[in-house]
Amino acid sequence: MLAATPTIGETAQRRISIRRCDIIWRLLKNTIGLPFFPRTWISFLFLILSFAIGLFWFIVLVTLISTGAGLVITLVGLPILLFTAVLWTFGARAERWRVRMMLGVDIPSPYRALPDGPWTQVLRAFLTDGAVWRDLIYLFLLFPIGLVEFVIAVTGIATTGAFLTLPIYFWALPDGVRIAERHGADIDYFWALPGGGVRISESYGPVIDTLPEALIAAAIALPALLLVLYLIRLMATGHALMAQALLGPSRDELASRVDVLSTSRSRVLDSAAQERRRIERDLHDGVQQHLTALAMDLGMAREKLESDPEAVSALVARAHDEAKSTLAELRQLVRGISPAILADRGLDAAISALAARCPVPVVVDVELSKRPPDIVEMTAYFVVAESLTNIARHSGASKARVTAWETGKRIIVEVWDNGRGDADRARGTGLQGLEDRVAGIDGRLRVDSPPGGPTSIRAELPCA
Amino acid sequence: MRVVIADDSVLLREGLVRLLTEAGFEVVAAVGDGPGLIAAIEQHRPDVSIVDVRMPPAYRDEGLVAAIEARRRVPGTPVLVLSQYVEETYAAELLAGGEPGIGYLLKDRVADVGAFLEAVRHVASGDTVLDPEVVAQLLTRRRRDDRVGALTPREQEVLSLMAEGRSNRAIAAAMGVGDGAVEKHVTSIFGKLGIDPADSDHRRVLAVLAYLRG
Repeated sequence: MLAATPTIGETAQRRISIRRCDIIWRLLKNTIGLPFFPRTWISFLFLILSFAIGLFWFIVLVTLISTGAGLVITLVGLPILLFTAVLWTFGARAERWRVRMMLGVDIPSPYRALPDGPWTQVLRAFLTDGAVWRDLIYLFLLFPIGLVEFVIAVTGIATTGAFLTLPIYFWALPDGVRIAERHGADIDYFWALPGGGVRISESYGPVIDTLPEALIAAAIALPALLLVLYLIRLMATGHALMAQALLGPSRDELASRVDVLSTSRSRVLDSAAQERRRIERDLHDGVQQHLTALAMDLGMAREKLESDPEAVSALVARAHDEAKSTLAELRQLVRGISPAILADRGLDAAISALAARCPVPVVVDVELSKRPPDIVEMTAYFVVAESLTNIARHSGASKARVTAWETGKRIIVEVWDNGRGDADRARGTGLQGLEDRVAGIDGRLRVDSPPGGPTSIRAELPCA
Repeated sequence: MRVVIADDSVLLREGLVRLLTEAGFEVVAAVGDGPGLIAAIEQHRPDVSIVDVRMPPAYRDEGLVAAIEARRRVPGTPVLVLSQYVEETYAAELLAGGEPGIGYLLKDRVADVGAFLEAVRHVASGDTVLDPEVVAQLLTRRRRDDRVGALTPREQEVLSLMAEGRSNRAIAAAMGVGDGAVEKHVTSIFGKLGIDPADSDHRRVLAVLAYLRG
């Protein structure tokens, strides 16, 4: 009997042919489908807009930069140039947004974080940021590139569209349209289509002046339209790549960011290890010693239970006291590891509890619309806890203030006191540890503590 | 006196049952979670309930929430809440209803058997008992308040003891002075802080706490 099942070779062959079919089908779908994908027409719109926006920025930047540069001698030029630079970064931001919304390509913000400090530092950081200058290059390139994109896209669509719709003219307006044209004082009337017909080119090629010819022209125009649409998609993709290269973070910037993150990660791991050592030490030196003493006292009491009841009473009393003080110590320790009130009631209540324990009067003002992620809450809490401990121990302050609020996707926590200032992160390990914790969640800690005070410690914690 | 106990730790629950039974209380129910507590209070109408803050399922503040809910369903049922740590915020939530018969103590206080049993009896009779640590938190916050600062050290001590919910007699006993002396201090404190002297001990505690919470 012959086996009906295909041999291995046949199966493989079929698989290949299926794959070939699959590819052809996908190719067909992707070409025939081009006019039906919204993305195609959005790309078309994108290219047209590129020209308009490019023209706008070209005029604005050339005007402002030449004005500014011309006036540099009188010093008025510098603020004009600076304003221009700020303006073009906003232009670049808008372009990033446009590329994301219209082409679906996400370009992360490339700018370096500006330092908190005197304005000269901020200015220098801004002007030495390569991303700012790449923004300028992009906006200047947008005009010529946008022009080319505009011309190709618009002429392509207009021409193929015209031929494609030609049969409709012949069908709807068999007599053509009378068109008037003014030549000085005279008005010429002539018939446009179908009597006059249309040439593909002005000087040569067949004249299309009948419906069947129009249908043939349309049949040829259809693949041409698909080609134009394909070109439009290609140009949009190319534009997105250019935007990514010029408006996105450069490789160096990404690498340096990875460096910063891995450094802060290892510091966080270090501080976690240190924290564990501290807990181990606290348990060992405190609780364990207390329990040993307690067990010893109870052991002695047991020995003397019958011989010396009076001594037993004293020993039991001491054991009782030891047990109670161990409990108190354990409570402190546990609170330091993870305060239950933070998990239960959130930052406001937890910070209020910290403030209530602080010997310096603290005003608490927490305004958060929703609870941030656990790790952010924890970090914010420890910033406040450590700062208040420092205030109580070193600052000599008579009042302090804790404020927490949200801006966009960040939470800002600020601890202020009117003490003698001069808090130095090098001196105590506390501030360095805080900085590590904050950096560990990609936040920033700013300590502003001039000698003589006041001190303000501000943490910016991203919640995304 | 009939007592309901709610604590998820079997060790502590049995310990409390033993301690209370030996002291002459009748433990009518010992449960391990919040819904159990509410059901037991509704069923037994105990003279007092002793509740741990942390209970299953999340081990956060289920006991506190259940206690507040139970007092909503059975108004005025006295509840003594025990906690590993005390927070002024929780005390405020418990006292928010203004009904008498609330206690809020550190769990450690159970170790001082005599004082603990005393607190249980006070709460059962409708008094308010607050842990000294809560009061200390309140006073820390108010330390720089001019009017609290104007109190003599003796008066500050009396203020703390009042906030813990003690009666004049108890304060006198704790400080080792006569009832009359305490009375004088109390009048002086109320005068300096500008609080209306209240008619009952419970109202007095609320007034003092309201002042301290500012």
